[in-house]
Amino acid sequence: MASTGGGAPGTYTPTPTKKTQRSSFFSDSDVDWLRPDGRGFHQCRPAFFRTGAVNSAAGSAYAEFGNTKVIVSVFGPRESKKAMVYSDVGRLNCNVSCTTFATPVRGLGSDNKEFSSMLHKALEGDLPVVISCASLALADAGIMMYDLVAGVSVSCLGRNLIIDPILEEENFQDGSLMITCMPSRYEVTQLSITGEWSTAKLNEAMQLCLDACSKLDKIMRACLKEAASASLD
Amino acid sequence: MVGLSLGEKHFIQGGIDQNLRSDGRKRDAYRPISIETGVIPQANGSARIRIGATEVIASVKAELGRPNALQPDKGKVAIFVDCSPVAEPMFEGRGGEELSTELSVALQCCLLGGKSGAGAGIDLSSLIVAEGKICWDLYIDGLVISSDGNLLDALGAAIKAALSNTGIPRVQVAAGASGDEQPEVDISDEEFLQFDTSGVPVIVTLTKVGRHYIVDATSEEESQMSSAVSVSISRKGHICGLSKRGSAGLDPSVISDMISVARHISEQLINKLDSEISAAEADEDEM
Repeated sequence: MASTGGGAPGTYTPTPTKKTQRSSFFSDSDVDWLRPDGRGFHQCRPAFFRTGAVNSAAGSAYAEFGNTKVIVSVFGPRESKKAMVYSDVGRLNCNVSCTTFATPVRGLGSDNKEFSSMLHKALEGDLPVVISCASLALADAGIMMYDLVAGVSVSCLGRNLIIDPILEEENFQDGSLMITCMPSRYEVTQLSITGEWSTAKLNEAMQLCLDACSKLDKIMRACLKEAASASLD
Repeated sequence: MVGLSLGEKHFIQGGIDQNLRSDGRKRDAYRPISIETGVIPQANGSARIRIGATEVIASVKAELGRPNALQPDKGKVAIFVDCSPVAEPMFEGRGGEELSTELSVALQCCLLGGKSGAGAGIDLSSLIVAEGKICWDLYIDGLVISSDGNLLDALGAAIKAALSNTGIPRVQVAAGASGDEQPEVDISDEEFLQFDTSGVPVIVTLTKVGRHYIVDATSEEESQMSSAVSVSISRKGHICGLSKRGSAGLDPSVISDMISVARHISEQLINKLDSEISAAEADEDEM
């Protein structure tokens, strides 16, 4: 079992944008505003990945971003029972479940499972983590992919952009942007934006996310490599 | 589902490459749009919109409710979309559920703004009746009657038209309710407050087929898409939401390019919708 794989918690904080921009950031009226966990605005939570978290699955991964903890397992590939005719494409079925104790209010995720939109809302902040972890689990299952997919979100609070927001920050956000991308191909696979954005801010946020994605990708790759070399020994 | 032969696929893709699509449109042209308002008498506001063969109805219902404890100074808005089996046999039973959810989530993302309410098309603080006690809950329902592509743009436009058709009864709050008591209200059935819809954004979906992207794709064209980006843009040209569909990845520079194209197209669409909506309202008043 390749369960010994894993990497030391690494962080994928993007390189700070130009110094001039930085200084204008902190001359704002809300300088003294601190993030609840003491991070800088452009600082991500340390990310920890490990593959082989579930024994019975074909592939699985565990991800821990601060207090957000996710396990993804992949089953299959197997023959489709639904398909009536020959198809040259496969299908990926995704299912997300939330434990009842996952949110501050008990059972927010699972009670409303029928209302996928609610679940979507509840998951908003965790979605990039789930996506990154899922791509790692797929890789662990040995399923061929174009590239690993890494996801990062940014919240807009007032005039500030804060990366990798926690739930508490998201409740007060004016807007959010989530990007998932394939860093080696430099392609965006999913992008969703809420709230009002000007073009300049949008570009800044996208760059920030893409930079963080490519760093996150390195951590994910290191985790896979470590797992592979451990299973060889 | 659209079944196309290889020849038809080539015809569609080739036409898009040459900027002359199967129905004679250019890549950035919409099909004819027609709007009818006040189609559902039981609702506070409603509209039916046709874009080519795509037809959707949106209705707005307002009910008195309690504001969220976290946001005592704001009303609530919920958007639901239903895909009628009338539109496509595939929507029978639970078949339309996945698409309905996808559309509802995209509309919420495009119209409701951030968590704090910033950038929302609908001013939530205008829905408050008594702070922390009574507010209006708006239920926006979209119904897909006939589906020939570009459902999201059509639903967005229908919601915009339905909201400008919406009248919310004036409410008198009886003074004297103290503390946690729920005050008594008197809902007027004569006086209605009109909704300010100038801030409601429009949704422009750009569908990427081959190397080019097109607006207002028909379902045949949608079956050939690699990905689609829906941008909601306010009159001021600000981005109010964005969602992406389709499995293919996009280069970040292509996305920025698509956003600027969408912004350019949204100006024409907003003007077009505004004139159609006011014409529809005038028609309704005459009857």
